[in-house]
Amino acid sequence: MSKVLDRHLIFRHRDIENIQNIDTYIKDDGYSALKKALKEMKPVDVTNEVKSAGLRGRGGAGFPAGVKWSFIPKDIFPKYVVVNADESEPGTFKDREIMEKNPHLLLEGIALCAYAVGASASYIYGRGEFLSTFRPLQQAIDDAYKHGFLGENILGSGFSLDIRLHLGAGAYICGEETALLNSLEGLMGQPRNRPPFPAVAGLYAKPTVINNVETLSGVPYIILNGIDAYRKYGTDRSPGTKIFSLSGRVNRPGNYELPLGTPLRHLVEECGGGVIDGKQVKGILPSGAASSIMGGDKLDTHLDYESMVEAGSMLGSGSVIILDETINGVWAAKKNIDFFRHESCGKCSPCREGTHWLKSVYTKIVDGHGTKQDVDMLGTIIGQMEGNCFCPLGEFVVPGVRTSLGLYMDEYLEMVAGNEEASQPQKDLIHTFF
Amino acid sequence: MSDQVTLTIDGKTVTVPKGTLIVEAAKQIEQEIPVFCYHGKLSQVGMCRMCLVEVGTPMFDRATREPVLDENGVQKIGFFPKPMTACTTPVSEGMVVKVDSGAALDDRKAVLEFLLTSHPLDCPVCDKGGECPLQDLTMKHGSGISRFNYEEKQHFPKKYPLGDLIVLDMERCVICTRCIRFQSEIAHDPVLAIENRGRHAHIVSYSDPPFDSHYSGNATDVCPVGALTTKDFRFGARSWEMKNVPSICNHCGVGCNTVLGTRKGGSGTGQLKRVMPRQNETVNELWICDKGRFGHHFNESPNRLTTPLIRQDGQLVESTWADVLPFIGEKISSIKSANGSTALGGIAGARLSNEDLYLFQKLFRQIIGSNNIDHRVGLNANFEDTTAYTVGVGVGTDLSQVGKGSTILVIGSDLDQEAPILYIRVAGASVKRSAHVINIGGRRTKLDAQAQTSAYYQYGTASYLVLGILASVVAQGLVNQEWIDRHATGFSEITKLLQDFAPDSVADTTGVSSAEIEAIAKSYAEAENGIIIFGHEAGNDPALGAAIEALAAVTGHAGKPNNGVIAVLPHANSRGAADMGVVPNRLLGYLPLEGEAGLSAEQMLSGNSIKGMIIAGADPASESDTYRECLQNLDFLVVQDLFLTETAQLADVVLPAKAVAERDGTFTNLERRVQTFDVGIDSPLLAWSDWLILAAIAGQLGADWGYASADGVMAEITQEVPLYQNMAFENLVAPVSLDRQTDHYIYEGMSFTADVHEGIQWATVAENEQQKITLQLVVPENHTGSDEITLVTPRILYDGGRLLAETDVVQSHVFQTRALLSSVDAKKLGLNNGDSVTISQNGTAVNLPIQISRMLNEGTILIPRNIEGRPAERLVGSSDVHASVKVKKS
Ligand SMILES: Cc1cc2nc3c(=O)[nH]c(=O)nc-3n(C[C@H](O)[C@H](O)[C@H](O)COP(=O)(O)O)c2cc1C
Ligand code: SF4
Ligand code: SF4
Ligand code: SF4
Ligand code: FES
Repeated sequence: MSKVLDRHLIFRHRDIENIQNIDTYIKDDGYSALKKALKEMKPVDVTNEVKSAGLRGRGGAGFPAGVKWSFIPKDIFPKYVVVNADESEPGTFKDREIMEKNPHLLLEGIALCAYAVGASASYIYGRGEFLSTFRPLQQAIDDAYKHGFLGENILGSGFSLDIRLHLGAGAYICGEETALLNSLEGLMGQPRNRPPFPAVAGLYAKPTVINNVETLSGVPYIILNGIDAYRKYGTDRSPGTKIFSLSGRVNRPGNYELPLGTPLRHLVEECGGGVIDGKQVKGILPSGAASSIMGGDKLDTHLDYESMVEAGSMLGSGSVIILDETINGVWAAKKNIDFFRHESCGKCSPCREGTHWLKSVYTKIVDGHGTKQDVDMLGTIIGQMEGNCFCPLGEFVVPGVRTSLGLYMDEYLEMVAGNEEASQPQKDLIHTFF
Repeated sequence: MSDQVTLTIDGKTVTVPKGTLIVEAAKQIEQEIPVFCYHGKLSQVGMCRMCLVEVGTPMFDRATREPVLDENGVQKIGFFPKPMTACTTPVSEGMVVKVDSGAALDDRKAVLEFLLTSHPLDCPVCDKGGECPLQDLTMKHGSGISRFNYEEKQHFPKKYPLGDLIVLDMERCVICTRCIRFQSEIAHDPVLAIENRGRHAHIVSYSDPPFDSHYSGNATDVCPVGALTTKDFRFGARSWEMKNVPSICNHCGVGCNTVLGTRKGGSGTGQLKRVMPRQNETVNELWICDKGRFGHHFNESPNRLTTPLIRQDGQLVESTWADVLPFIGEKISSIKSANGSTALGGIAGARLSNEDLYLFQKLFRQIIGSNNIDHRVGLNANFEDTTAYTVGVGVGTDLSQVGKGSTILVIGSDLDQEAPILYIRVAGASVKRSAHVINIGGRRTKLDAQAQTSAYYQYGTASYLVLGILASVVAQGLVNQEWIDRHATGFSEITKLLQDFAPDSVADTTGVSSAEIEAIAKSYAEAENGIIIFGHEAGNDPALGAAIEALAAVTGHAGKPNNGVIAVLPHANSRGAADMGVVPNRLLGYLPLEGEAGLSAEQMLSGNSIKGMIIAGADPASESDTYRECLQNLDFLVVQDLFLTETAQLADVVLPAKAVAERDGTFTNLERRVQTFDVGIDSPLLAWSDWLILAAIAGQLGADWGYASADGVMAEITQEVPLYQNMAFENLVAPVSLDRQTDHYIYEGMSFTADVHEGIQWATVAENEQQKITLQLVVPENHTGSDEITLVTPRILYDGGRLLAETDVVQSHVFQTRALLSSVDAKKLGLNNGDSVTISQNGTAVNLPIQISRMLNEGTILIPRNIEGRPAERLVGSSDVHASVKVKKS
């Protein structure tokens, strides 16, 4: 595996053993960024540093973190920092590694964010399955309290912060920030109307920053080493490093921290050791189930926010799933639909009913009973969903099906070949009634 | 910036207040935007996606903030890339909305198609069929064919009881959450929720007992499909077969406007199939309570009186009007000549109409010559409310508009039980519109959860508390002197008396601290609008009414809309009975009586001077043994009623009366609004309206009244009672169209339209520049605190009343005879739920099982009134509200 990074910014545990141990973490300059901020910086300076460093949200949408923080009104209290550790996108498993292996980095990032926006309480919301992940994280929190990095009057600065862990019940939609807030409040995990945006009325209707685990873990490096040091990595509009969760038909699936802008080919071939049995890449799902599928010919696309959009897809949360020739394109699309059908929260009609309908059609096709009309039906259904859903989950359904139809139409047609559209059985009405 | 916004919807320009939602703006130009989840009275959720429209706003250059112009110099409109939900998007200046554009029409069709992929389309057997938004919108916007032929539609149980009254057919549900939101936002009984997600989502009730709410029927009304139906009406009739008749609920004094859905059956007699709300924003908005909706089965009860009965050889036997009427005439005449007219007396229940009550007093005062008449039996026997006459809520009062800047003082009433729709309105004023609601009572009630302030007094001290508030208003200099000068006399006299009632001095007696009293006084006096609502748990001490009247007057909270006093009286027409002068001590229209006052019901039924009585629509025998004995000893008793009540069983002649649904007439509600009801169904063959019976009796006594209709009686009332001068039927009844209108019910639900007259309120003294209110205070009865336990006897919605007893579906809600005891007392006495206790007072003792209640304070035990066996009345007497009792384990 080639080394494109002199050191890991986030996956520091891969450079230094036992960094989950607070003493080790401190020895590696851990909590120095927090000390620096509390001693030398005003809250607004922290926000401005993050803004200038160009750190973008790693949860999917890529929204600039510093800009988000600056939306928090100054004069309303209390405010909250909520950490999105729901990590439910198929193929994403990066936040988990951070929390298990380098938890203090996240805690330090949270503390910096809370200091910047004036929050004194923070909740880390994890997916229901993260029981074993949250144990070491809780240990880290306890250690941080003991060392005075959390709790009352941190390092004598007058700034106080409490962090609490909360496990959801395991629902993809609870990764969507407003559904997450509902769930955290004990309500049903369904998204809220916007406006108001969480920055104005979030948790308990108070100003709330919501950031992904990886986003916040990127903050300490910026504060400690400065904007230029951070911008050494990545591209101008996509600075810094990003963790890519590589899975699918590759030899070495796993998490890889790379500077943004690294070519996809590097991730697949160098990091992932290429496709199993040397087969050809047939498709790339660069952001999990919600992806626009990219053809195997797109391996030279650069992994940054802009290039991925240009290539007709998006960077998302960086969960790169590789399909090879052994994978049937229709089958893969059906897997995604099964997932969405299962995870649709049911709030709005197009997604609740549309995902179910899609699943019915896919099942029919994959079971070998589909017809050409059924394939056309898929296009119609996503057309009827597009733009009409309450939240992005429903909208995420569309690109996968659309690109799959575009890339793998021959496979669809093959599957339905020979099946005639059954003509409507003629009901003999007279016979029925008399 | 102007408060008005102008926008264009499908080419039509409309100007609406800022903040208006697109869907509402469109309604104003009669551009229908279809909705399912949106409902004007509920929060907006934007989840069904039916209302998607294209929305554009005028374009501005980002940098310069200058308008971007097209080649013709007109500002360009930038359309949002996605359609917007018209139910959540507020209008903005210059906005352009496309409702019937190709894209919006496609979206609508798409959403409908999605909804129908899991909808059973069993319209032919669905109760909503014919008045169903989903059905109508599918016809209008849907595609004619179904492309969802992949598998079975979803299956859920077709008949799932959400509670005892409401049945859920989850297959029909479109998951709009209107029902859930109604329950939590309007009824404040958040008992419904969605369980599971995606297509497995379904509606559940998680209260115990399930769907525990007095308002559950309204959830079926807001449901835009046939998913929620009432057990009562399920498969009862098709909507188009029914004739809809406007009526007024006869179960409490709120006077909710209703529609009787009636159908001609095989035999030709009209059947009452359902009672539905009729929109009247000033009375009941779109709602009725479950008692009003379900409590109509008494009409068709086989126990109804169908023919006159006469006592022969000790037995009541069937007779005819022709035989009984002359007999009644003879008996009354002979008692009058033997014992004088004061040996005759009458009680008329406050469920009778104004026309009945008017003739009742006319019969006694003019024909018989006796002032021995009363409508107050039992609970309110000693209580006469005249605050309505002087300082009742102003004409034009509309609680649905009362909000920020207003204070509503509720004193001694559990509104959720006594006047449910009033509860909804008061709670809504607080929660939705930020009025300051102050709930004062002897115990915790449901309204406490919505009120901003609560205070608890010792039972029996409410009048002290109100005097304390009044004294504090004066002491804090918060009186409205200008108002007093214009409308009242006697202010300086009352201030003297008030010196004894300073907050400090009443704090100990009442148990409410002087700080609380002062804060209440301040909030009420300083409010822009002030309303006082008081109920029977405040006691029936005459000092109370006088103090409340003075409090409203000195703060100037009377004589104008959204200000004044509402007394929560017990029956549908208690107000009208007082207006019609069915009291022994004054005449109709609150005019003074010259000469000696007659006997009250209480006096008539506990002495022996009365020899003959007419009792119409009242059952005093069931209230107390003393009354019963007295009635047994009468020489002659005539009873007119729907049923052979305990009182009727003692009568010499029993006359069958018509029920409200079977006749016309008027009721006057708590807010003095006179409202008419129409004939909905046929009555038992020989039943007559009460007014007709009374006129016939008068005829036997030589009168020649010649009324042909209730209408004619009202015509005379308008002449005789100045307050009622505008109440002729033609004024009260405006052209009524009760035809179903899709554009109404897709937005508002199943309540019938407001296209009807809203009743007329009569004006109070405070609204009359020619009259002045004489302020007077009464020194309250001495209050002696007791170390014993206080028994309180509130009225409840589901009591053992006769009219409810005939409705099977609510029987499981009817209060099972038991006593509620605070957990502290239960612990002290070593009692558990279900243990039996002996409760005794002055030699009377009753045994009851107990239930431990968290709602009660230490030292109180609660037994509702009017329940099986009448334990409450036996212990406290039928007219009192509370008493000191001894409680021990039995
Ligand atoms: C259906 C759905 C699922 C999501 N799941 C996650 C998730 O698991 N983790 C996450 O951080 N963000 C998730 N997001 C994105 C969040 O809504 C939100 O944008 C993010 O937490 C913001 O943090 P960031 O700016 O740091 O990325 C999801 C969004 C949607 C619509
Ligand atoms: S699109 Fe609708 S149903 Fe799907 S997850 Fe979002 S809100 Fe729920
Ligand atoms: S039962 Fe009716 S009101 Fe309730 S969510 Fe379903 S469709 Fe809406
Ligand atoms: S609140 Fe009173 S008037 Fe209204 S429906 Fe209920 S019982 Fe009838
Ligand atoms: S989304 Fe607007 S009516 Fe349902």
